[in-house]
Amino acid sequence: MHSDLNGLRGQLEAIVGGAQVLEGAARTAAFAVDGILPELVVRPGTQQEVAQVVAACARVGAAMIPWGEGTAIGLGNPPARAQVVVQMGRLNRMVEWDPANLTVTAEAGMRLADLQETVARSGAILPLDPPSDHKVSLGGLVAANQNGPSRLRYGTVRDWLLGLRVVLPDGQPIHCGGRVIKNVSGYDMNKLFIRSLGTLGIITEVTFKLLPMPAQWAGAIGLFPGLDGPRAAVRETLASFLLPESIDLLNPEAVELLAPALTLAPAPGSWGLAVALAGSPETVARQARDFAALFQAHGGTLVPVLPGQTGRTWKAVRNLLDAAQPDNPARILCKITVPIARTSDLVASASEQGRFGGLRAAVMAYAGSGVIWALYLPAMGALPGASTAAALEALRAEAVAAGGSLEIHGAPPPLKRQVDAWGAGDSGLAMMRRLKQEFDPRGVCNPGRFVGGI
Amino acid sequence: MTDREFVQELRAIVGKANVLDGSVDLQLYQYDGFLEERRPDAVAFVHSTEEVAKVVQVCNRHGRPFVPRGGGTNLTGGTIPFKGGVVIEMIRMNRILEVDTASLWARVQPGMFNLEFGNALAPLGYQFMPDPASQKASSLGGNVAENAGGPHCFKFGVTTNHILGLTVVLPDGSVAHLGGTAPDPAGYDLTGLFVGSEGTFGICTELVAKIARLPEGLKTLLAIYDDIEAGSKTVTAIVAAGMIPATLEMMDQLVIQAVEASIHCGLPLDCATVLLIEVDGLKDDLELQAKAIEDICMAHGAREVRVAKDDAERALLWAGRRGAFGAVARLAPSFLVCDGTVPRTALPEALRKVAEVALKYDLRIPNVFHAGDGNLHPLILFDWRDADQKARVIKAGMEILGLCAALGGTISGEHGVGLEKMDAMRLVLSEADIEAQRRVKRTFDPDNLANPGKMFPQPEEVASAQ
Repeated sequence: MHSDLNGLRGQLEAIVGGAQVLEGAARTAAFAVDGILPELVVRPGTQQEVAQVVAACARVGAAMIPWGEGTAIGLGNPPARAQVVVQMGRLNRMVEWDPANLTVTAEAGMRLADLQETVARSGAILPLDPPSDHKVSLGGLVAANQNGPSRLRYGTVRDWLLGLRVVLPDGQPIHCGGRVIKNVSGYDMNKLFIRSLGTLGIITEVTFKLLPMPAQWAGAIGLFPGLDGPRAAVRETLASFLLPESIDLLNPEAVELLAPALTLAPAPGSWGLAVALAGSPETVARQARDFAALFQAHGGTLVPVLPGQTGRTWKAVRNLLDAAQPDNPARILCKITVPIARTSDLVASASEQGRFGGLRAAVMAYAGSGVIWALYLPAMGALPGASTAAALEALRAEAVAAGGSLEIHGAPPPLKRQVDAWGAGDSGLAMMRRLKQEFDPRGVCNPGRFVGGI
Repeated sequence: MTDREFVQELRAIVGKANVLDGSVDLQLYQYDGFLEERRPDAVAFVHSTEEVAKVVQVCNRHGRPFVPRGGGTNLTGGTIPFKGGVVIEMIRMNRILEVDTASLWARVQPGMFNLEFGNALAPLGYQFMPDPASQKASSLGGNVAENAGGPHCFKFGVTTNHILGLTVVLPDGSVAHLGGTAPDPAGYDLTGLFVGSEGTFGICTELVAKIARLPEGLKTLLAIYDDIEAGSKTVTAIVAAGMIPATLEMMDQLVIQAVEASIHCGLPLDCATVLLIEVDGLKDDLELQAKAIEDICMAHGAREVRVAKDDAERALLWAGRRGAFGAVARLAPSFLVCDGTVPRTALPEALRKVAEVALKYDLRIPNVFHAGDGNLHPLILFDWRDADQKARVIKAGMEILGLCAALGGTISGEHGVGLEKMDAMRLVLSEADIEAQRRVKRTFDPDNLANPGKMFPQPEEVASAQ
């Protein structure tokens, strides 16, 4: 161990207690980031301890990587340095839950699912449904901007987040926003930290607004012989008055992955559309009818999702790609974004086997939102070749030409060293670098993982 | 450099007729909806991103401040050129450049009025959600700068929730394209940071706005109360029943009387308060929702609930609400609008305390506000010619912001900080919180030329010495 870090270990132990500082490969192996083991893992128990830990690391210039549940740890470039993983799991307390005002404040290490379960008991929902939602922490949800299918109806993290507490890279705690649903008292500092991937500090507390729970959930899955049917059905849905929670478009490989969980029996090569509905019994029933007609009009076979089956069904859908061979070290997960009307085109491109040297992709799109997830599953132990990198770059070029981007949310480290996780970034990059320089001049917060080497 | 030479440089960029520097002309640009006045050195009418960039570059070269201006409807002094310099008038950049209904966005220039934009989208079947009450005269660029709200923001969110991308001229005169037409661009959310920065990070010259389908149906209700507390308790009860109406607006008796005198929309003059409630969405359950809301209102002490029978009746009710600020001008020569926001359940207590402040300072304070958001708008009436009254108004305004903060709320829901609430920032933010915001400002604008003298309180030692 580096001599400075030797002293750091003692300081961290003094802050959090000896049992909460882990050292040695056997104990830190579970916290590897892109194959790089941190030298220490520290587990603070309070927000104040986080501030002390960050200050202690900053003093010796030790690079920190915040870690909630690790669900998004594959997002980004390999770290430039990785001395200390700050594991937030012990900060898992509810701070304030106000059912009458539909706002909730919790520590950043709390799991989203635990918060959702608590508020549901009082008839409220936080309508965010990211992949791995059984596990993802609130801080990770915000820092990695993790969203799911129902962003179509409800929007994303930035639409629900009211306030944050953050420890800045020098250890200074600050508060952003508040707990009222409209707030322009100064700059909208929450936005600085949403999707900043821990590069500007560590989020320690979050406040969200909530919604009353819908009276009913239901849905429909349509199976189609090709892409043309679902493409048209999505286009017509978006032009209609219908207000589904989500419309997910699945390519045949994704339908195959989903089939066992839902006991579907798709014809080989079937494409899928999964539509979630929520609201009053009247609007749910009407939309179920309209979608059944729409699927049929476009050559689809309807599999209704009845009110009693929705929880299990949508859980299977949103976790579809995260749950596929999670321990396969060769798996590659990409997120592509494009203007909404281009979604089907990019789904088609991401599905092209030829392009990836015969590698089949399971592709799922939030088809009303312009977000496409593509999962490539090479054989266990297979090394990505130059052709895989070239294929990803070509797919990225297509997304960029359409006005969008391609992000790598998980890939073997050798591939990440060939293909940047984010792409070139836009003309705001110079300002992003200046913000990083202003807040973290020594580069101690998650260095190297973000856009443009930030 | 003399003012004359400086103005010559501006004229070389935008044309001779597009720069004002005469004393009478400049007077027209020294005020907005707030109480302060400061005269600019020049006003430049701009027509393109390139012109804005060049004007800002000239300001940079000569160390002159600049302030963008749209409709000039700002209520907190955001458009007042506090340190002089150039007012950059955006109002001629008022075109829609592109509408993509299939991808649900429109590219539009910032000088277009909010309502004009809405009127252009409506025939296509689409809408832009933010709808500040000033929408007839407030520009989209101003909406972005202030992160404007409006009645429909209760259900649909404020301006920042509906902006996908921005073209901006940064304070150094460079042009940046932030975000775009696809969701989740890589990197920090500079678009989100820029929205609500009140012209202090630079100037928005083009925006990509999210658009949404017009709803299939809507129902508008007016609930009439003899007791203002009953009205505000109804607001919480509606949400507790699992409903999020598109709007939940409230007006008290003084406002109702002023509105009736000027707009004649049939509001009862003898009631204590009215709630204007609208539900929208799929038509299948709107009747049921309206009935459920009517029942809740009656159960919470409404004396009558009217349901608008047709579009004409609905339009009349909305004309009353949207015209409320204007109508209140009948009651007194001037008013100061407070913009404090509280958790919804604290509304009854907040209204009681606002009434106490009115008594304490011997002022009349009517209320018209976004009840669903807990966003109060006490309008403190006064006569600007009466210096003593004006001093009491400022104290009363600060006290109202203080009581909102103490009830767990904040000092501004949608009007911004501007000049008005600089010192009130300490009511809700610590020194460290404020310093973090200053660091963002310094990063965007190291020379402090973009709308200087706004947003931030004086340093603590100066404030406490006074």
